[in-house]
Amino acid sequence: MRRFILAAFAVVALGGHADAAVCAKSSPGLTKFYSDAWGLDLRSTRFQPADRTSITAANVGQLRLKWVYGLSTDEPRSYPLVTEDTIFIGDSGNGLVALDRQTGCTRWTFKHEGQIGSAILHEEKNGAVTLFFTDRTEGIFALNALDGTLRWKRSPPGDNPIPLLSGTPLIHDGTMFVPLSSYEVGLAVNPFYGCCTTSGGMAAINTSDGDGLWYRRTVPTHPHVTGRHYLFVENQAPSGVPAWAAPTLDSSGGVLYFGTGQNYSRPTTNTSDSIFALNARDGSVRWIHQFTSGDAYNTSCDLSEGHPNCPKPMGPDLDFGAPPILARTPDGRELLIAGEKSGAVYALNPSDGAIVWTYHSGRGGALGGVHWGMAVDGAAGLLFVPVSDIVAGHLTGKGEARPGLFALDLASGALRWSHLRKARCPDRTCSPGLSAAIVAGPDLVFAGSLDGKLEAVDSRNGKLLWSYDSWQEYPTTVNGKPAKGGAFDAHGPMLAGDQLIVSSGYGSFYQKGGNALLAFELSGNKAQ
Amino acid sequence: MTAELVLAGRGRRLVASLIDVLLVPALAIIIMLVTGVLEHAADWSASARPVLRMFALGVASYLILNVWLLWQRGQTVGKAIMGIAIVSTKSGGPAPFWRLAIRALFFPTLYLIVWPWAALFPLIDQLTIFFKPRRCAHDYLCGTSVIKRG
Repeated sequence: MRRFILAAFAVVALGGHADAAVCAKSSPGLTKFYSDAWGLDLRSTRFQPADRTSITAANVGQLRLKWVYGLSTDEPRSYPLVTEDTIFIGDSGNGLVALDRQTGCTRWTFKHEGQIGSAILHEEKNGAVTLFFTDRTEGIFALNALDGTLRWKRSPPGDNPIPLLSGTPLIHDGTMFVPLSSYEVGLAVNPFYGCCTTSGGMAAINTSDGDGLWYRRTVPTHPHVTGRHYLFVENQAPSGVPAWAAPTLDSSGGVLYFGTGQNYSRPTTNTSDSIFALNARDGSVRWIHQFTSGDAYNTSCDLSEGHPNCPKPMGPDLDFGAPPILARTPDGRELLIAGEKSGAVYALNPSDGAIVWTYHSGRGGALGGVHWGMAVDGAAGLLFVPVSDIVAGHLTGKGEARPGLFALDLASGALRWSHLRKARCPDRTCSPGLSAAIVAGPDLVFAGSLDGKLEAVDSRNGKLLWSYDSWQEYPTTVNGKPAKGGAFDAHGPMLAGDQLIVSSGYGSFYQKGGNALLAFELSGNKAQ
Repeated sequence: MTAELVLAGRGRRLVASLIDVLLVPALAIIIMLVTGVLEHAADWSASARPVLRMFALGVASYLILNVWLLWQRGQTVGKAIMGIAIVSTKSGGPAPFWRLAIRALFFPTLYLIVWPWAALFPLIDQLTIFFKPRRCAHDYLCGTSVIKRG
C-alpha cells in the first residue's frame, strides 16, 4: 500500500513537472510588436531601432542565456514574432507555439505536423490580431492570435502543381505578397521525371480570406518539350526561376522587389538570377535586371553531371537567396541592395535597376556568398554583409574563401571593415561561414555562424563584443524536451527589447542539426 | 510429403528471395518508365497522391512476380533461376491458389528487415528454416514446402 501511495505521489509530481511548461495565463499581449516582416520592416533592413531593442555595444556583455526551449525538429526554419510578453514561433512537427518571454512557458499551441518554414507575421484589423505562417508545402495559415485557433487556410497560390513556400510572405494594407518556388529542383534527381516544367512566381492574396488578387510567373512563357533523354523521358523547358526569399516593398511608391534563382533546364530565360520590380497593385513588371545569364541547374547534377536531367552545361546556381534591401543613405538617396550567392553585392537604382556600385565580398558558391540576408543601418550609412563561403562540392566558387562579416559604405560600396572568421576544426561542419541572416541594432550586429557561434560585433569598427557557443547539449529545457545546439543558418537572430532570440541547429546540406530555441536577456533587466 | 521430393537448400532459397526482393522495385521502375505514370509535375502534386501511386506500382509488380507466377508455375523468377519450386506439403503437387495467396502475404515483410523496430516479425518467420524440416513459419502456416526442381 505504501508503495502504491509513493508511486501515485511520483506520478502526480511528474505530472506537475510536465505542466510547468504551460502558462497560467494563456492569452498573449498583443499591443507591441517587434517586427512587421521577415526583414523586420517592409524595406527588409533587418535593423532594429532603439525603440525596439535596448541591447547596445555598451551592455551586450550582460547578455545571459535565460531559457531554452526544445524544438521538435533538428532543422528549425521559423523566425519568431515577439510582442510585449510573448514569442510566437513555428515548432515544426508540433505546431505554432506562443511562449511566454520571461519563462518560456506555453500559452497556446496550434497543432500542426507539417514544416513551418516562415517568419510569423501579424495583422491587426478591426481590433483583432491575426497571425500568419506558411507550411512549406501545405500553404498559408491564418490564426487568431489570442488563442491560436484557425481563421483560414489556403493552398499555395499560382499554377505550379508542386509549389514550395520557402520565402516568407510580406503583408501590407490587407494584401499578402507570397513568394513561390518549386520542389521540382529536387524531384529532378529521379531520372524518370521529365525535367522541368514549373515556374517560380509571386502572388498577391487578400489577408482577410486568402482570395487571390494577382499572380506573376517568373518564367514568362510556358514550357515545351525540348527532347527525350535515353530513358525515353521528355525534357522540357523553360523552367525554374524560384523566388526563394521574402519580397521587399516600397510602400509609398507601390513597388515590390524580389530576387530569383536559376533555371532548372535549358534553354534558359532572361529572368533567372534576377531582381524583379513589380507594381504591387497588379503585379505588372516595372523592370527586371538579370545578373547571371544561362544559369541552369537542379539537384540531379549533385548525383552526377551526366545525370539525364542535369542541364548541359551545368550552371553555377547563383541565386538571390536574400531579400533585396531598400535602403536610404544618410544624404537621403534611395538604393536597392541585392546580395548574391556568388558573394557579389549590388547597389541598384530602385527606379530602373541600374547598377550604382558593386562589391565582391567572398568566393561564393551554391550556399553563398550571401545566402539568407544582410542588414543595413541607414543612419550610420552602413551595409552589413554576412558571407558564408562554405564548401558546396562542385558548386563551390573560385578563389579564396573569406567567411565573415563585411561592413560597406552604403553610398559608395567601399569596405569600411571586415570581421573574418576562422574554423574551429578542419571538418566541413566547422565552417566558420555566416550563412544565416543577420540582424543589426543601433551600434552592433548579431550574426550566427555555421559552426554554432553567436556573435555580436561593434557596427562602427567590427570589433567582437560578445560571443556564445551553442554547440552543446541542453538537457534541461522549459518544455522538458532535451535540446542540442548546431549550425546557425536560415533566419538568424531576433532582437526584441532586452532579449535576443535565436534557433540553433540546421541539418540541411550536411551541416550540424539542432533543436535549441535560445532566449537571451540582459542580466538584471525585465523584458520591455 | 512424398518421398521422391527433395527439399531445397537454405542457400538456394536465400538467393532466390534476394533476387525476387530486387526484382519487385525493378519491375515497378519499368512499369513507371513505360507508362510515364510519374513523369510529369502534376503527377507529384499532393492531389495526385504520388506516394499511393508508387505503392500501387510496387503492389502491381509484386502481384505479377510473386503471385501470378507462383500460381501458374509454382516458381517465382528467383526460384526458377535457382531451380527450386513451391509445392503442397501434403500432396507434393502444385499448391492451390488459396495457399499461395496466404503465403504471398509474407513476402512483403522481407522489406521490413531494414527497420529495426519491425524486423522481428520477418526474422522469426525466416529463422524457422534452420529447424530440421527446413521450412519457414509461413510454410507451416500455408502447408507448403520448397523443393528442388531438376
